[in-house]
Amino acid sequence: MSVGLPSDEVAEDYKNSLEDLTANSRYEISNLTVIARENTEHAMAISRVLENHIKNVPPDRKLPALYVLDSVVKNVGTPYTIFLGRNLFYTFMGAYSLVNQQTRRKLDEMLKTWKEPVPGSQETNPVFPHDTTRQIETALLKARTTALQLQQQNQFRAPQELTARGRPIPTPNTQWRNTPTPPQANSLYYPPPPQSYPQRSVPNGNFQSPPPFPPISQYAPPHDHPQPYHQQPYQQPPGYSQYSLPSQNLDSLKRDIADLVGKTKQEFASIPYNDTLRIRLQALLDLQNILSTQQLPPHEIQAIRDQVAQLSGNPHPPSVPPPYVATPPVPQQQPPPRSSQPQGSTPQPGDLQALLSSRNLADIIAKAQRSTPTPPATQAPRSQSQQGPTSYPPVSSGPGTDLMAMLRAKGLLPPNSNTPTNGPLGFASPPSATNTPPILPASLARPALINDVDLTSTSLKIPRPHLIFTLYEARPNQCSTCGRRFFATKEGREMKACHLDWHFRTNRRLVDSAKRGQSRSWYVDELEWIKSRDNPGDAPLTDASSAAAKATLAASLAAADPKKRHIPAPSDPALANQPCPICQEKFATVWNDEEQEFVWMDAIKLGNRVYHASCHAEIKKDGGTTPLRINTPDSVLGKRKSPSAGFSEINSIYAKAVKT
Amino acid sequence: MSLPGLELSASVETNIEPTVQDLKEGSEWRFEVAFGHQIEVKLLSGNAELFGTELAQKQPYTFTGTKAAIYTWHGCQLEVHGECQSEYIAEETPMISYANLHFALEKSREEASTTARDAPRVLIVGPENAGKTSLVKLLTAYATRSGRQPIAINLDTKEGMLSIPGTMSAAAFSSIIDVEDGWGSSPTTGPSPVPVKLPLVYFLGLANPEDKTSVYKPIMTRLALSVLNRLQDDGESRGTGCIIDTPGVISQGKGGYEIIQHIVSDFSVSVIVVLGSERLYSDMVRRFNGQRTSVGETIAVIKLDKSGGCVDRDEAYLQQVRQAQIREYFFGDAKSTLSPHTQQVDFTAVSIYRWADSSVDLTSLLPGDAVEENLAPSIFDKEEPSPQMQNAILAIVHADPSDPQETIRDASVIGFIYVAEVDEKRRKLKILAPLSGRLPNKAMIWGSWPEGVTDMVG
Repeated sequence: MSVGLPSDEVAEDYKNSLEDLTANSRYEISNLTVIARENTEHAMAISRVLENHIKNVPPDRKLPALYVLDSVVKNVGTPYTIFLGRNLFYTFMGAYSLVNQQTRRKLDEMLKTWKEPVPGSQETNPVFPHDTTRQIETALLKARTTALQLQQQNQFRAPQELTARGRPIPTPNTQWRNTPTPPQANSLYYPPPPQSYPQRSVPNGNFQSPPPFPPISQYAPPHDHPQPYHQQPYQQPPGYSQYSLPSQNLDSLKRDIADLVGKTKQEFASIPYNDTLRIRLQALLDLQNILSTQQLPPHEIQAIRDQVAQLSGNPHPPSVPPPYVATPPVPQQQPPPRSSQPQGSTPQPGDLQALLSSRNLADIIAKAQRSTPTPPATQAPRSQSQQGPTSYPPVSSGPGTDLMAMLRAKGLLPPNSNTPTNGPLGFASPPSATNTPPILPASLARPALINDVDLTSTSLKIPRPHLIFTLYEARPNQCSTCGRRFFATKEGREMKACHLDWHFRTNRRLVDSAKRGQSRSWYVDELEWIKSRDNPGDAPLTDASSAAAKATLAASLAAADPKKRHIPAPSDPALANQPCPICQEKFATVWNDEEQEFVWMDAIKLGNRVYHASCHAEIKKDGGTTPLRINTPDSVLGKRKSPSAGFSEINSIYAKAVKT
Repeated sequence: MSLPGLELSASVETNIEPTVQDLKEGSEWRFEVAFGHQIEVKLLSGNAELFGTELAQKQPYTFTGTKAAIYTWHGCQLEVHGECQSEYIAEETPMISYANLHFALEKSREEASTTARDAPRVLIVGPENAGKTSLVKLLTAYATRSGRQPIAINLDTKEGMLSIPGTMSAAAFSSIIDVEDGWGSSPTTGPSPVPVKLPLVYFLGLANPEDKTSVYKPIMTRLALSVLNRLQDDGESRGTGCIIDTPGVISQGKGGYEIIQHIVSDFSVSVIVVLGSERLYSDMVRRFNGQRTSVGETIAVIKLDKSGGCVDRDEAYLQQVRQAQIREYFFGDAKSTLSPHTQQVDFTAVSIYRWADSSVDLTSLLPGDAVEENLAPSIFDKEEPSPQMQNAILAIVHADPSDPQETIRDASVIGFIYVAEVDEKRRKLKILAPLSGRLPNKAMIWGSWPEGVTDMVG
């Protein structure tokens, strides 16, 4: 950060240009990319300017700025990838934590492309090294998990409960967290003074104080998360763990698993032939066995808990917590993803490792995501937790409750009502508002659902209720007329609105058409069919016909077919009485449903005169086949283009296709 | 209501108390309704689907001349008005593996989109009455519900898809599939309560493709070209791929296998699903497993169990289905009545072709070299309208009467007309056309299939 400026001028210039970038303008972005390309000797300065810019601009301008970064690394490549790669984690996460959910999705997409080579280039390496991107991904994953653990932390802060349970009360360490670091502050790169980092005593003494500027790739203290942060649980940084002291951890974990086993047994008893359940039960029993027979080091317990947390966290990755906005960007300095665990660098006993990586657990995870009635709340619990954590009922007995709650919310366990009877502790279950994990819009949840079905006969036999979920509950917004489902997102609602409009229009037209009578249309030819597009959104343009397909067809026909051309009926009486100069016939005024006004069909206005479009086309025609003469202008046949038009075209297509 | 007959029939219908079917999760209600009878099914609570298409709650669905099953993943209650020919609740279904097949396809669609490969082209093969069409419908419906746009292709000329029997057709499905009525309806001139689907139709006019592979294959190749073109052109469909339904008859042995081979290469099939036949499965594995498609993917051959709900449909029932499909083409269904148009046309206004009978004999009789020359012009015989044509269905195709015979053979269908009467004296045909207006001046094909319908025009 203290590098001198070898090229202040370029940097200053670039900075100014960046500041003009307020919207996602392709032109400006490519311009900035070109500048970057032409000044590779100042790459370091430019990179820094860009990083600072991304860091400092308000959230709504972060995306365009990141697009510049994206464009530069993809189009120019080295040395920018190196310079920008260094701080990519901070740059990306800093932005990610501040932007809204829509932008996050864009960022997710961007991140995805960074893992791949630049499209169209010969380079086979990904845009950024996998190490760099993996780090971000891990952090995001952790963030998702963490958000689900929040209540747990809240519950930790219910001292009376904890004392009652005879647990050591974690020392609140809130100094720096209390400092309201404004999001835009530089803290992104300057973590709080080390002394304020949690460093209270930890029973097993293996806490290490992390260096303030951890080398990104290595900063992965395996178990330096002795205490949750207490004041602002919601804002837990990505990857910051939920773990409590190992001993409690173990107890509660055991209890959780015992509960889980109980549940599973019950379920299994009712559906004895269910293989998945059997596998899951087996896995859980194994896990229980290991926990009770072996002394596991804390980090392994963490690992298990990680898995269990993942199990509960996966279906609803809390990657979209909009209230993040207020979060001081502190997260970045601590969480550097504890890559040790996912990558297995933490030593683990073989059997545990095997268990953790076994398919059984994957099945558990999969099972955890099986269908549940989607909890309705989206933001509510979140904002609540933000305003005042104290408002949480001090109900819980620690992480276990929360785990149970999460599992329950995920549908792994039956709903609330059962809790008291099943929990060996007999704790009351927290109100649903608090134990409902933040729900993602279903569209986002979708990719997170593990689809592990292979095209093999055995894989096809395993029931996967969580995937059925994608057909039902993932799209909770159902049309009551035809049963079609939509996502509960904004887009989903818009689509549904369009869809309902479509029903409405169709019904209205059905009433009309009952008087008129209708007929089967002729089928389209190959070319039309190939070019036709269904309109699944039932967008308003379907007004013309009942069917989306037909509307698109009609639209495409209209362009080609003079008979479909129409103009609004002129209101000027002089013009309205003028016949077609070619055939001397008057124009028929008809009501057009599509336009919702009176029109002259088959009409075209050129200059001040209105012609029959077909007459005009005929005159201009270059001696091709005469179009069919249709007596009934309304017949669909008449609306079709002349038979030979397009026919030669398609035949040439086929001729080509056959040749190749 | 004062008419005694009407009142009687109305009261008979309403007298029957509605029954309520309680379905546990993972079970299905299988029912058969005879032609001429009808039942009304309402989903009272829970979720239910018919061949993959979800039912809306509290909406009445009417069925007639149907053998179908309503499945529930989560449990449901159905209210049924009217009497079924047979109905029962089955708890053992292969739905889990059917749904998993969909998810496996979804997975490879997703992989395809990230790796810029083509989405899977799925071929369903299996003996008659194994539930092939139902599976195709299910996969199509699930794909549509997952926000995709599959292209469903029917190569079985015994039954039509969005058209009459005797045809092969393809259509992109991006909107809900009609629950009450097979595949739904092709476009009409008016509105339709269920979005219509736009089919591309080719006419074979034969029940069994093996009867005339010399015609079946080129038409199928042509259909495949159109579909592949659409897949290339239409981003939505490209990401989804296609699902191909086949006639059961080709799954019975040698000649049929050759047709399957053709389908696989024409459509560049990447997944072959064998439904309900171990023997066919092993034959298919032997033939295709591990082979590569034209774009280099490995062909996967998988086997699925036949559903216990599959019933053998007897010839009488199938004939009724065919007649209903033809009737529906001209007259519409209960939801939307269509008005076809009767008209007289001159013998000279039509050019009717019929598959030449001799082509098979010719190939066997003539020496190798002569075959090519002599066979080419004899795809069709040109037919004068004759009394035998009465009650026949003629397909009007997108080809001029003067076009070469190959062009006529490979052309897609514009529509069908029904020959109500042949007046040789006045040299006039009385025909039923779907629309009013002059007939397109195009070639017409007279097939031997579907058989004529006698009482079309009263």
